Amino acid sequence: MLVFAISDKGGTGRSVTGSNIVYRRALQGSDVCYLDFDFGSPTAGAIFSVSSAARGTAQGGMHRYLEGRLADPHRIDIWSESDREGLRTKPPGAGQMVLFPGDEGGGEFSTVSEEMLQRCVRLFARLEEEFDLCLVDLSAGRSFAAQMALAATARLPGVPFRWLVFHRWTRQHIIAADGLVRGQQGLLAVGVQHGHDEEALADHIRFVRTAVLEPDAAELEGLRETQKAWLNECDRELRELAGRHRVGRTSMLGKIPLDPVLQWREQLISDEDVLSSQIANAETVAAFDDLAKKIVDDSAWEAL
Amino acid sequence: MLVMGEVRTGLLQNSGEIPESLCQSVLGLLSGERVRVSRRPIVYAVSPDQLTGVDCRLASASRARVRGVGTVLSRASVTGGRLLQGSSHIRVVRSESDHRLSWSHYLARAGVVEVFGKVRVPDLAEGFAENGARDDCLDLGSVSERFMDAVQASPFLDRKAPFRSARTRLRWVAECGGPGSTGTGNTSAGTGAGAASGSAASGGAEIPGTGVLSPEGPAIRFTLGRDQVRTLRLVLPGGFTPGVVDFCEDLALHDWLLTTLLVIVERARVGTATRGEVTAKLAPAVDHLLHLWMPAARLDEGFAPFWETLERRPGFSRQWQSLVERVRDQIAINTLALLREAGGW
Repeated sequence: MLVFAISDKGGTGRSVTGSNIVYRRALQGSDVCYLDFDFGSPTAGAIFSVSSAARGTAQGGMHRYLEGRLADPHRIDIWSESDREGLRTKPPGAGQMVLFPGDEGGGEFSTVSEEMLQRCVRLFARLEEEFDLCLVDLSAGRSFAAQMALAATARLPGVPFRWLVFHRWTRQHIIAADGLVRGQQGLLAVGVQHGHDEEALADHIRFVRTAVLEPDAAELEGLRETQKAWLNECDRELRELAGRHRVGRTSMLGKIPLDPVLQWREQLISDEDVLSSQIANAETVAAFDDLAKKIVDDSAWEAL
Repeated sequence: MLVMGEVRTGLLQNSGEIPESLCQSVLGLLSGERVRVSRRPIVYAVSPDQLTGVDCRLASASRARVRGVGTVLSRASVTGGRLLQGSSHIRVVRSESDHRLSWSHYLARAGVVEVFGKVRVPDLAEGFAENGARDDCLDLGSVSERFMDAVQASPFLDRKAPFRSARTRLRWVAECGGPGSTGTGNTSAGTGAGAASGSAASGGAEIPGTGVLSPEGPAIRFTLGRDQVRTLRLVLPGGFTPGVVDFCEDLALHDWLLTTLLVIVERARVGTATRGEVTAKLAPAVDHLLHLWMPAARLDEGFAPFWETLERRPGFSRQWQSLVERVRDQIAINTLALLREAGGW
């Protein structure tokens, strides 16, 4: 299955959440890979703690593959090549976890040629043979990469795909996420141009809320009553706004709580970070685990 | 003569095995010619030979700039309606010209790549076996893979494979003897061993060889590498026959079966997961793989000793048999447990 991760605005935690979903899915026993299609800023290597690819690879990544300059894009086996010791031992029963990094100094594409699209289709088809889940991390906003993804999936009718639209729980982000899907040159409009059925495509898109601070969260204990009341009011307004913009509960796949570890250092959160060093919150891991399951759970994707 | 090739092997992307008639349609996509099929002891269908014209660098261990011009001979095959292979190879000869000739010259020599200037066989053999496609060098694996992709994209396949599996890459290099190959200089050749396509005559001159394995008798060395890469080095004093390609494809097929079954058994977590989970993980192997093991089924007699060598060490069939028994025993134990639970005995 192909899963495309996208957001309208930057700083939503799209990459870090996507990486953690991939990691959780691998721990759950699936063969997974992560494709860095954020060509302008290929930093997925840093999240997986692969320093040699922290700013993209020099050995031929996604960008150069799509340009047709190499046949086999560089692949990094996280279980053996990560610098983080805790990641270098593959737990029994875990699946493959492979990163296809972007290129150092790659840059966004300014157009999508037919050849490039064919290479993209071939890549997706090949990876589908080998992996249960391929997560494609697209850059923020409307990009040629997103357009290519829509065109490629239209040509692969036998390959299941899903889209995750990441947004923070703020007024601007809610409006922007709706615009990215339904606005002018949004995912649905571009998808239809490339041969997707609008309704069917809409059923393959779900929203993920990130850095969510629940009004009843433990972190807010010390607040004054007036502040709490104000926060509750804001949250109610946001829920209303989200409902109006069709970004509400029914089209939401999951939400990730605000976690200091994700704010200050984007990384994979291991069970060790929760249990032994206790730097991360158990709720965060539970949210990733839940998302990793829902992403492949057909009942969470039934038509709205 | 130096012959080198790369075979890529993978699971046909279909929910079940495909019948013989469908093999014809699936492989026939590649060209208008007929798909050849043999039925015993296992259904094996192979596409017509495909030629790819090349003019590029060949990999060399010393990183010397070796330019080769000619054609790559490729084919795709489906075994047991379940396994797909893409296979490409070239026979390397020294060009008798110092510049590129017209394409008709190369097209008349299917599967022959002529190299310019001085080259040493070990240098080319080593370069290809160890590094495959480096930088901008000829990448036979990619050629094979493209034909595989064309088959996998066939509208006759439902793309619902029963399990995920990686494609394996078997890179092989054969140093073949025969007339002219034992000389040290520019002995004119024309061994005319004939490629599978039927158009023969190597046309160029032989490159002196120094058999890295054993200069006298036939020899074989199989190595498992990283990232699904395997290398096979062969010395064939008898000269090149198309049977070499069949042998390499057969070995690649069985290596894929063994590799894939090992992964399935490892993932089943025998002893850790519940019996039901273990059986569920092992079931695809029973449904789709176990009956496909048939080493050396269609090979020339001459290659039997190679298989025998590999059966002694590393012992392909021995490992396969032990895995198969493990899978069956696990399923039997689970059946007994289920019967006991149901109070059936």
